[in-house]
Amino acid sequence: MIRWFITHSWKSALRSGVWQKNLLTNIVIGFFALILILYMLILGIFIDKILEELAPDRNPLNVFGSVMFYYFLTDLLMRYMFQSLSTLAVEPYLHLPIRRSTLVHYVTAKSFLHLFNFIPLLVFVPFILKVVVPEQGAIVGISYGLSLLLLVFNNNFLATYFKRQLTGQARIAAIAGGSVLLLITLDYFKLISLSTVSEWTFMKFIAYPVLVVLPLALLFFSYMLNVRYLQKNAYLEEMPETRGKGATETLSDIRYLSKLGLTGSFIGLELKLWLRNKRTKSILYMFPIFVLYGLFFYPNPVYNDKPGFLIFVGIFISGGMMLNYLNYAFGYESTYFDYLLTSRIDLKQYLRVKLIVAMLISTFCFIVTIPYVLFGVDILYINIATYLFNIGFLSFLLLFMATYNKKRMDLSKGAAFNYQGVGAANWLAVLPAFLLPVIMYLVFNFLLNKYAALMIIGLTGIAGLVFTPFFVKVIQEQLLEKRYVMAENFRKES
Amino acid sequence: MIHVKDLKKQYNGITVLNIPELNVPEGQSFGLVGNNGAGKTTFFRLVLDLIRADKGEIQSAGTVVAGSEAWKANTGSYLDKGFLIDFLTPEEYFDFTGHIRGLSKGDIQEHLNLFSDFFAGEVIGRKKYIRDLSMGNQQKVGIASALMGKPSILVLDEPFNSLDPSTQIRLKNMLNKLKSQVKITMLISSHDLNHIAEVCDRVCILEKGKIVHDIETREDTLAVLESYFAVQ
Repeated sequence: MIRWFITHSWKSALRSGVWQKNLLTNIVIGFFALILILYMLILGIFIDKILEELAPDRNPLNVFGSVMFYYFLTDLLMRYMFQSLSTLAVEPYLHLPIRRSTLVHYVTAKSFLHLFNFIPLLVFVPFILKVVVPEQGAIVGISYGLSLLLLVFNNNFLATYFKRQLTGQARIAAIAGGSVLLLITLDYFKLISLSTVSEWTFMKFIAYPVLVVLPLALLFFSYMLNVRYLQKNAYLEEMPETRGKGATETLSDIRYLSKLGLTGSFIGLELKLWLRNKRTKSILYMFPIFVLYGLFFYPNPVYNDKPGFLIFVGIFISGGMMLNYLNYAFGYESTYFDYLLTSRIDLKQYLRVKLIVAMLISTFCFIVTIPYVLFGVDILYINIATYLFNIGFLSFLLLFMATYNKKRMDLSKGAAFNYQGVGAANWLAVLPAFLLPVIMYLVFNFLLNKYAALMIIGLTGIAGLVFTPFFVKVIQEQLLEKRYVMAENFRKES
Repeated sequence: MIHVKDLKKQYNGITVLNIPELNVPEGQSFGLVGNNGAGKTTFFRLVLDLIRADKGEIQSAGTVVAGSEAWKANTGSYLDKGFLIDFLTPEEYFDFTGHIRGLSKGDIQEHLNLFSDFFAGEVIGRKKYIRDLSMGNQQKVGIASALMGKPSILVLDEPFNSLDPSTQIRLKNMLNKLKSQVKITMLISSHDLNHIAEVCDRVCILEKGKIVHDIETREDTLAVLESYFAVQ
C-alpha cells in the first residue's frame, strides 16, 4: 500500500503545476535556495572559527550549547510559518478499503523528508567533526549529533502538530515570535537567562552520551501526537483544508463605504478579497517587513553617502506593498474575471478604484515610515520624492504591466513561499522601473545637485498625477485589448 | 434579438464551433443540447464576448457584441463558477451585483424574496461564504444573480446541473413563468432532454460545433431528441 502512496505522491509532485509553470520562476527560486544552502555550508565550515571569535575565552562547546534553545525556538517558529503541511490529499483514499492508520502513518512519516530537516545538518555535521569529535571523541560526537538530529525532527513534528491544530494562524505565530524576542531581550539584560539553561542542558548531552534517549523519547511523543490527531480527525469534514469557517462581519463591512456609490462597493470588494483569503492575508502579514527594512540601511553609515541606494530603499518602502497589490491586480480577481467582463462595470471606474487603493496603500506606508526622519532629514526628503514618484508614476506603470500577468491565482491556498500564479517574468519586467528613479537621481545629481535631483523625481510623480485621466485611458485600452487572453488563461485551473 | 453570422472558433487548428447563420428572435426561449465538447459553452462565451471569434460576429439587440459594452446592461448570465465571487457571502454577492445593475436595496430585497422557495432556506442568512456552499447552492446563487435587474436576455449554461429534483422543477416553473410574463429571450443549454423540451420553444442540437438539428418544440420533440441521442 505504502508503495502506491509513494508513487502517487511522487507523481503529484512531478505533475504539479509548479514545474510546468515557468522555467524562469523555478530558476529564481532555485537560485535563492542555492544561496541559502551555500550560506549554511560556509557557516558550517567556519563554525569553529566563528565560535572562537564570538567568545574567545569560552569553550566553543558551551557557546554552541547556549544558543541551541534559541535556535530550536526560532526553527519551530519558522517552520510554523513557512513549512507546508505534508499531506497526501487524503480525500480520494478515505472511502477505499485502506486501514486508516496506514494512511495516517504515511502522511505523518512523509514529513521526515522535508528539506527543512536537512538544512541544519550543513552546520551541525561540520561542527561535530571539527569541534566535538577532536575534543570528546567519536562516541560523544555520534551521540551528540544524533541528539541534535532527533531534536530537529522533533521540531518538525511539533510544528506540524501546531499547524494542524491551529491551521496556521499567523496571529499565534506573531505572539510566539514576540515571546522569543522578549526572552532574548531578557537574556541580554541578564534578567532571565535562557542561554544558561540551554548551555547546561546541552553540556549534559556531551557529558552523558546516553541522554540521547531523551530526544528519542521526545520525537516519539511528538510523532504520536500527530498520528493521534490525524487518526481522530481524518474525516473529510474535519480536515483543516476543507473546514469552512463561518462568515463573519468584518472591517470590510464598513457601512460608510456603501455611501460612496459604486466606487465604495468596489473598494469594499477589494477589502473583503484581502481579508478573507489565505493567500492575500499572508501578503498582508509581510507588511512589517516592507516598512521596517529601512532599519537595515538607515543606521548604517556605509549607506549614508550613497543616496542613490537610499532612493532604491525609499521606492520599496512606500512602493513595496503597492507593488504586491498592483502587480497582480487582475490576477487576484482571476477566479471571477468572467463575471467582471460580463457585468455592466464602468472600466474606467474599476481601474480608478485599483489606483486609489494602490495610492492609499502607498500613502499609508509613507506615513508610517515618517519616523525614519530620526536618521536624518535627508531620508525624509528622499522618501517624499520616492513616494510621489510611486503614486504618480509607478502606480500607472504597474497597473499597465499587470495586464501581462495571465496566471490564475488560487487565493484559498495560503502561506508564504506560495508561488502559484506568480510569474517571474512579471517581476523582472518591473525591476527596471524601480531603477529608473535611481538613474534619474544619479544623472541630475551630477548635472545639478542632490536636492534638485530629488525635486525632479518628486515632480515626475506630481506630473503623472495631473495626467491621471490620460493614463487611465491608456490602461483601459490595454485591458480591452488583452482581456480575451487574460480571461482564457484565468479559466485554466492548474 | 441574437443574430449569428458566419461564426467560427478554432482551437489549435481544430474548428470547435461553426455556425453560418442563426437567429434567435426576441422573446424566444432557445435551447441548446449536445454531448460534451459539442461547443455549447464556447457558443455562450462568444455570445457574452468572453472569447474572441476567429471569424464572423454575433449581434445582440442590433449591436455587435465583441468590443461593445451596450449589451451588458440588458443581459443576465451564469455559465460556471467563474461568475461567482467565492469569498463573499451570497447576500454580499447579491448586493454587489444589484449595485452594479443599478438596483436599490429595496429592489434587491424584493428580487430575493421571489427566490425564497428556490433557495429553500439554504442560501440566505446562513453566514457562509459562497466558496463553502455546496455545488447546488452555488448554482442557485449564480442563477438568482443572473436574473437580477430584469434582463431582456438570459444566458444559462446547464442550469439544471447539480440542482436537487425539487429545485430543478422550481427552476423549470420559474423559467416558464418568466417566459409568459415578460418578453425575455433565453439561451439555455442542458444535458437533460426532458427539461429542455419543457422549457424551450426551440431546440438546437449541436454536434462537433455544428448545428445539426433545429426544431420548434412540439409534442414529439422529446421523442425526436431521444432518438437522436439514442446509442446503438
